[in-house]
Amino acid sequence: MEHEPARVLLIEDNPGDADLVRLRLVEGKSAVQVNCVPRLADALACLDVEMPTLVLLDLNLPDSRGAETFRRIMQKAPNVPVVILSGQDDEALAIKAVHMGVQDYLVKGDITSKQLERAVRYAIERQGLLRALEITRQQQIKFKDQFLSHVSHELRTPLTCIYQYVTLLLDGLAGPLAANQTDHLKAVLKSTNQLHAMIRDLLEATRAESGKLHIEPRCIDIRELLQQAVTMMRPTAAENHISLAAAFEQTIPLVYADPDRTLEVLINLIDNAIKFTPPEGSVVVKASLVETDPSAVYLSVNDSGRGLPPETLSQVFDRLYQDPNAVDGNRTGLGLGLYIAKEIVTLHGGRMWVASEPGCGSTFSFTLPFYSLAKLLLPVITDQGHLRENIVLVRVELAPLSKALRGSWKEVCQRSLDRLRRCIYVDKDLVLPPMETSGAGETFFVVASTDMKRVGIMMDRIREHLGALPKLKASGTLRVTAEAIPAPPAGDPRTLEQQVWGVADYVTEVIQQGLGSRQYFTEKENHTNAN
Amino acid sequence: MLTESHNQEQPTRRAKIMVVDDDPDLRQALSLRLRANHFDTVNVCDGYSAIAMAQKEKPHLIILDLGLPAGDGYTVLKHLQEFPALAGIPVIVLTARDPEGNEKRTLESGAIAFFQKPADNEELLAVIRASLQTGWGWGGSAPS
Repeated sequence: MEHEPARVLLIEDNPGDADLVRLRLVEGKSAVQVNCVPRLADALACLDVEMPTLVLLDLNLPDSRGAETFRRIMQKAPNVPVVILSGQDDEALAIKAVHMGVQDYLVKGDITSKQLERAVRYAIERQGLLRALEITRQQQIKFKDQFLSHVSHELRTPLTCIYQYVTLLLDGLAGPLAANQTDHLKAVLKSTNQLHAMIRDLLEATRAESGKLHIEPRCIDIRELLQQAVTMMRPTAAENHISLAAAFEQTIPLVYADPDRTLEVLINLIDNAIKFTPPEGSVVVKASLVETDPSAVYLSVNDSGRGLPPETLSQVFDRLYQDPNAVDGNRTGLGLGLYIAKEIVTLHGGRMWVASEPGCGSTFSFTLPFYSLAKLLLPVITDQGHLRENIVLVRVELAPLSKALRGSWKEVCQRSLDRLRRCIYVDKDLVLPPMETSGAGETFFVVASTDMKRVGIMMDRIREHLGALPKLKASGTLRVTAEAIPAPPAGDPRTLEQQVWGVADYVTEVIQQGLGSRQYFTEKENHTNAN
Repeated sequence: MLTESHNQEQPTRRAKIMVVDDDPDLRQALSLRLRANHFDTVNVCDGYSAIAMAQKEKPHLIILDLGLPAGDGYTVLKHLQEFPALAGIPVIVLTARDPEGNEKRTLESGAIAFFQKPADNEELLAVIRASLQTGWGWGGSAPS
């Protein structure tokens, strides 16, 4: 840094101020190259060509004002230190910019060359230190991730052995057991399962922290998922003499969520509720709609347990939070379950919270967004504010040859879907999120911005790519068909949004016909109400 | 003791499952459970033996660990695909490794299912039975 002259990009629209600052800069002892531009657009263009050592920035430019100016510069050059040149009257704004990441600010009119030289040098030094710290932080996160992944792998191997032999003994495969021996082994199995859950949570929490938790949203019927969660948890509830029930309104629309992850959240909340509810108590899982929020389903798990003290309500979702009143029988694990659940819900664009009163039980609630086909279609079937001229609906049907092999057929469908996604242009075609199916045939739909003539190329590509899957060839059949979606009449008075709704409604109706009694989604109902 | 073939009570052909894992205790526990569920088992402890034994024994299904000496699970999957006689054998991956990254990669390398250890016994058996019953990717007739 000392040998090379600092390259300063000065962004200042007032020629007088610009000249003064330039003069002050070159007056100093350190060698400086100054490039001066009057507008934000010019500055952004300069940053495209070369990154300077430092940016000196007037926040109020002809083409951008205030904090937005700084935000745009930061976005373009996140690693370049920025020093603000503020007027006498906008010092408050400069301070706000410092909070947003600006290194320093100087008030125009008071600038001496010594002061400026010092500000420039310190800003560069500080930014360098910050950068080094950030790199170290990233390395530490990476090391922690690798370490945890390694540890969890190493722990799983002996855990698997314990699990295998305990279950061998419990299943009587090594000879009959006395009653008390069975009881002892069941205790070992219970602890083994707890250990397993902890290892899983540890990895999940690490992923959540480093932003690697990912979800694959689909169009799902949340009522089915609720039933599934309740069915899965009923034995645990019964063991603890707790009643467990699901309640939902029949009119719940479909939601756009990852079914496996959502089930994980529900099971986590139900398991928690059971843990903190005394025998003869009850746990109720609910799905409902709330008038004030027209875009989400509200899900809740309510228990008749001892409730949470008010001061802990804000902490229960923290990492490693443990209930201080938990008794030994309620070993709570690592205190990561609720943290992970909340992260999963947040990834879906939902919220999670808890309401509770000591002695009156707790209610954990979260929201999941409705599935809106129009929202997904909008960026794909419109171009520069207009509905595209030609839109085609492609139908890809997979049918298993013999009686469904649930696990593996699901796998074939998933892999076909992955391949299908590679057969389209992401900016103008969309593979619709599939319904959760029960196992038999699966139909995928693609909305493609093309005409009936050219769609043949895409269909051939789909046939070729999916047909090449050996597992699909061996176990199922593939059928690809297409139909044009009627274009709106010339001079259609509807807004673009309404036209997209129209397409969404049309597509829904076509899909609906194929699904029989199952509902694909209630888009029509939603936006008609919204109007 | 590298191979064990048990072919006792039943006159009908029993499906033969090859267990590939470098942990001898786990291999034995898995074999015990599989045999209790009327399957014959062949056990091997490394990647190289897995290929050799698959050619010799022609198992109906393979349970494969990923972390193995002498050629890891991916190498085994790759070699299995190279031999037409072995390419159709369904392979279930059973590993302590993270599904993230590995699940997709193993399925793309020809495995039919991925289980992370410890896998639930019943779930694993269900997938084994299902893949044998439908002759999943395996040309032969299904053993009953």
